[in-house]
Amino acid sequence: MTGAPRQPRAEERRNDLGPKASPGGSTHRVRGRGPAMRVQGSGEEGTAATRLLRFPGSTADPSRLSRGGRRGSGLAETGERRRERRGAKAGETKGSSGRPFHFFKSVGTMLKGVTRLVSRVHKLDPGHFLRLGTQAPQSLAAHLDNQVSFESPRAISCTSENDPAKHEEKHEGQHYNLPLQDMKTIFPHGLPPRYAMQMKTFNEACLMVRKPALELLHYLKNTNFAHPAVRYVLYGEKGTGKTLSLCHIIHFCAKQDWLILHIPDAHLWVKDCRDLLQSSYNKQRFDQPLEASVWLKNFKTTNERFLNQIKIQEKYVWNKRESIEKGSSLGEVVEQGITRVRNATDAVGIVLKELKRQSSLGIFHLLVAVDGVNALWGRTTLKREDKSPIAAEELALIHNLRKMVKNDWNGGAIVMTLSQTGSLFKPRKAYLPQELLGKEGFDALDPFIPILVGNYNPKEFESCIQYYLENSWLQHEKAHTEEGKKELLFLSNGNPGQLERLCAYL
Amino acid sequence: MMMKGGNKVLARSLMTQTLEAVKRKQFKKFHAASSEEQATIERNPYTIFHQALKNCEPVIGLAPILKGGRFYQVPVPLSDRRRRFLAMKWMITECREKKHRRTLMPEKLSQELLQAFHNQGPVVKRKHDMHKMAEANRALAHYRWW
Repeated sequence: MTGAPRQPRAEERRNDLGPKASPGGSTHRVRGRGPAMRVQGSGEEGTAATRLLRFPGSTADPSRLSRGGRRGSGLAETGERRRERRGAKAGETKGSSGRPFHFFKSVGTMLKGVTRLVSRVHKLDPGHFLRLGTQAPQSLAAHLDNQVSFESPRAISCTSENDPAKHEEKHEGQHYNLPLQDMKTIFPHGLPPRYAMQMKTFNEACLMVRKPALELLHYLKNTNFAHPAVRYVLYGEKGTGKTLSLCHIIHFCAKQDWLILHIPDAHLWVKDCRDLLQSSYNKQRFDQPLEASVWLKNFKTTNERFLNQIKIQEKYVWNKRESIEKGSSLGEVVEQGITRVRNATDAVGIVLKELKRQSSLGIFHLLVAVDGVNALWGRTTLKREDKSPIAAEELALIHNLRKMVKNDWNGGAIVMTLSQTGSLFKPRKAYLPQELLGKEGFDALDPFIPILVGNYNPKEFESCIQYYLENSWLQHEKAHTEEGKKELLFLSNGNPGQLERLCAYL
Repeated sequence: MMMKGGNKVLARSLMTQTLEAVKRKQFKKFHAASSEEQATIERNPYTIFHQALKNCEPVIGLAPILKGGRFYQVPVPLSDRRRRFLAMKWMITECREKKHRRTLMPEKLSQELLQAFHNQGPVVKRKHDMHKMAEANRALAHYRWW
């Protein structure tokens, strides 16, 4: 019922009325001539198809042309009824000749209507039909039931298009396969833990193509690298798939050979830090050696090939005995950060500064992907030795990252995700940018493009269930039945995270 | 028996995590196995759970009967619900007491359930011990008057 939006149908219908409206004839929207309809379509088309066939008043049954007639044949769509009433009234006002005249007119329009219907059905989202597991309605002849039900699950849930650059609207709702080798290089960190478990269990990594990600991909494909970096913020309720959409984008950018600066979870940097050192560079700030060195290691895994190409443009002094000369590669800075853990935070700062400076030169495109960006402007749970709290600004990592997400550089894009899950001192139900970022954060990020990530729509839900069924993840007998699916939909409310947790023990 | 202090939410979440752990272990085994063995590996956590408990149910039990000032352990038939209760009780006590302090309940329980499913492991051993004791005290059976 929620498959295709109602608006287009109404408009199409009104267009339909215009050219071929015979005087008083086929503007009647006669509902459901059940058997007559079904003769045209094959019996297996399912209820939606018959509903569509009933739709535009053109398919009026000759014997029952009731002018004001509304066939309340159990269709629950009151909107349809209202439109029918309107249409019927229009029919009345048009005036007409006698009944036999209607008859011939309407047969002709009925046939015309059927052909138009077929073309209209093609235009409507294919998901609507795929969801019902029917063959494409090109062939109105009846197909073998077995053939239909065998072929459709794979067709719904998986697609063979594994290149994110080629993902289009038609792939929406379908899963695509990511090679496991790529996963190790592109995502050494950054995958949600449950997804990583799923990857391990199924021995494959499949990601669903969804609308927010498609939208972002479209924007990224059309970025103008001469303009300052555009900021995109993915927001939404808990468990709707923001992090995985971010991973989709990162995969796309990795394939396009961008340099990826991925901070897997900014919340990890503002809480539970065992060792805080006073920063050698700036006495007011604090260093976090462990987190910084771990991040540098993962950064190195992702961007090996760029590290030798990029040369730093300034001399940096680590301490009295060690320094890095101008012109040496970024790889050396990263090495220094990994080996000398004390200097790791400063190494991160250097990396960020150099990348920002050099991305405008055009050698590489830079993607800054931050998950949980609301941590940068929130409170921290870290305390100094005298138990006074530390503000986020006083952490060197956070300070440098804030500079990175400012849009005063060009040559790339900044994609961010808000997250309530790891956030500190924020209410559980908060998901809007204003609530999670606070005034300071919102002002700092101000011109950004918000992208809402929502729950699954019915097509995506079905696709997800089919994917689980294919991998035999749903072992419970009832999960295979229609009532089982309805129960799952009800319990999870279409929320991807909840659905995943539910299906885990079924 | 999993529930403590009326915390049904916790008990339920522990059970679901256990079922999930069982499922993941079986999937891992499934993917590692050859195609002939794949047909024998059971992946439904519910069937494994029920079968494991059935394998742990003792057939005969012992009851302490007072005769002549002494208590004798007399072999006695058990009702269906007593058997199920004992199976569950042994399973849960085994996991609570005999495991390392830091391992979590779902992990322990899933391991025990899988072992019991294959008729191995400490819980099934306890059932066999119970049977042996009953067999040993067979002579005292006529002390039972019901």
